[in-house]
Amino acid sequence: MIPVLIIDDDVELTKLLEEYLQGEQFDLSAAHDGPGGLEKALNNTYSVIVLDVMLPGMSGLDVLKQLRQKSSAPVLMLTARGSELDRILGLELGADDYLAKPFNPRELVARLRAILRRTTNSTPSAAMPVHIADLELHPESRSVTCSGKPVTLTGAEFDLLYTFLRSPGKIISREDLTQAALGRPMSPMDRSIDVHVSNLRRKLGTYDGNHERIKAIRGSGYVYLLPGEQP
Amino acid sequence: MSFRSLFVKIFLCFWLAAGVVIVALNVVLWISTASDPNPERRHGAFGEALNLYAESAVQVYDREGPQAFEQYAGRSRKEAGSEIDLFDGYGHPIAGPSSPDTAAVAGEIQQTQQHVSHLTPLGRLTWGRAVVAPSGKTYIFVTRLRQPYVPRHLPPMGIFLTVIASGIIAYLLARYLTSPVKKLQSAVQSFAEGNLAARVTPELGNRKDELADLGREFDHMAERIEALIDSQKRLLADISHELRSPLARLSVALELARKNSNEKAAPALDRIEKEGDRLNKLVGQLLALTRLESGAEKITPETVVLEDLVQQIIDDANYEAKPQHKEVIATHLEVCRINGSPELLRSAIENVIRNAVRYTPSGGAVEVSLRWKLDTAELTVNDQGPGVPEAELKHIFEPFYRVSEARERSSGGAGLGLSIADRTVKLHGGSIEASNSATGLRVTILLPLAPNHNQHDAGQPQAAFSPASLASG
Repeated sequence: MIPVLIIDDDVELTKLLEEYLQGEQFDLSAAHDGPGGLEKALNNTYSVIVLDVMLPGMSGLDVLKQLRQKSSAPVLMLTARGSELDRILGLELGADDYLAKPFNPRELVARLRAILRRTTNSTPSAAMPVHIADLELHPESRSVTCSGKPVTLTGAEFDLLYTFLRSPGKIISREDLTQAALGRPMSPMDRSIDVHVSNLRRKLGTYDGNHERIKAIRGSGYVYLLPGEQP
Repeated sequence: MSFRSLFVKIFLCFWLAAGVVIVALNVVLWISTASDPNPERRHGAFGEALNLYAESAVQVYDREGPQAFEQYAGRSRKEAGSEIDLFDGYGHPIAGPSSPDTAAVAGEIQQTQQHVSHLTPLGRLTWGRAVVAPSGKTYIFVTRLRQPYVPRHLPPMGIFLTVIASGIIAYLLARYLTSPVKKLQSAVQSFAEGNLAARVTPELGNRKDELADLGREFDHMAERIEALIDSQKRLLADISHELRSPLARLSVALELARKNSNEKAAPALDRIEKEGDRLNKLVGQLLALTRLESGAEKITPETVVLEDLVQQIIDDANYEAKPQHKEVIATHLEVCRINGSPELLRSAIENVIRNAVRYTPSGGAVEVSLRWKLDTAELTVNDQGPGVPEAELKHIFEPFYRVSEARERSSGGAGLGLSIADRTVKLHGGSIEASNSATGLRVTILLPLAPNHNQHDAGQPQAAFSPASLASG
């Protein structure tokens, strides 16, 4: 059984989910408010934390902010449908993925599996460090340095960067990037990959001041540019 | 400041009135005095008194001698504050002169044989005339009066200065009267722009006139509206939460039922799932529409790269349309920058394109084009569907309006997408219109371009701000 924590104030929903997820080999624990959820998340080891944005007492985004200061446990956010802002904020604060509520529980299971696949398979022992210009990426330690300075990336951001660095200078479609970085196929109207790319841009900075590392190609996807390879 | 503003009107009215009064008064006085042929009378009683003064002083000297004159002059100086100088008919001083001015005046009188009066800038009057004494001798009498000499009409410079002064007073008065109007106006403007906390009373200080009453009434109204909108917003958030929670539970319970039931129940469960999805979509659309119509939706405008947004929506729509063997094609995309909310615009344009895809038969294509003219961006979406009867065209943006019951049902539309698009476009100061084209229905969206629209292609992508523009580059 895989330990999963859900922080959601809907007690009946978490009970139903517990029953449903049991059949899918997940052991679901539930917390029904922000502070309680944060405490549980910090004091136990969960493979994934499912976090509702709308929580009484303390907003899910605040929980996420505090959680990220101490823990890098994968977080799947539940947002209200149509609330794009919550999604962007959540992903920016370091959530790994989001799901709009109400959701199909099969979709929830698929997202949980995707996150787990990423976090457990991501230690290919023979993987060689990648070194491109001022950037160094070490797959085995999942660490990145930029001009010698360490860069803190979330799991999704690391996988995204690794995907880019394995084929620099080549256009990679948003579908492929979603599959590689989030471990799941892209769904329609899905903007999470764009938010992750934008976070990555911000964290890595630009080449000598004003040249973007990652360029968007309209209608195609994104490309990681090599220095001097400015269009 | 506009030439037709209240301030300018009040200011000009006051000033004009004051100026006309000043000028008219002076003209009347000037005419009445200037037309008098007797120069002494120009000074009126004052002139008569001066003449008497001169004659009696000369008589005193002529009859009683210098000593008596000195006494007379001394009394004059002490009691009336006026100096008297006396000269003979040739302008040689007899008594005095008390100042070089009087000597000069005496010389002038001797030459012109007329009476002379000089007004110094400080209001001191030097006045003199020749007087023939009863003895037949001619004397020249000059007096300097300490008492200011008040002319009965102002010199032109004086009129000018008075008009300027009245202008300053008119300006201050106009400002006093119109400044609360200005404050009220800026408060109303700020309120209309969505700052529901805008109030005017603190700005007015302790004014207690009709304008201050108006300000208080405005504040009262603003308070009520703010409370109403706040409660509506809270209600919307509550409804959103309360309606969706059961839906969320329903979908989990449904999956549990699916697991624990046999094949036979599957079609019914599929149906439950489909209806649940429909209900969920409808709740979302209804909330979006209510937010738009209640004014609770506040746009924080940012620059939207419209062609990128449209391209992304087309990509997404294609993703959904492909399994149905339909296609969405961008025939023409021009660079367009507009100000607005990328999220709202995305959902508006998405609704229109999805609607077009829905009515386009399998194997068909939806054509999208984006152009700009002058200060307007024009987005057209052309489908290959059956179109809409002319008479019903203008109704299709009304909520839940159905052109054809049967067709709408099979296509699964909730009937709210176009309404949302309509309200969103209007919120952005644009317009939306439907017409029948050769191939099907054409929806045209017009949106005002941003002022910085023409500064595009400056090399760097616009610093971007939203998922909509993240993919720009």
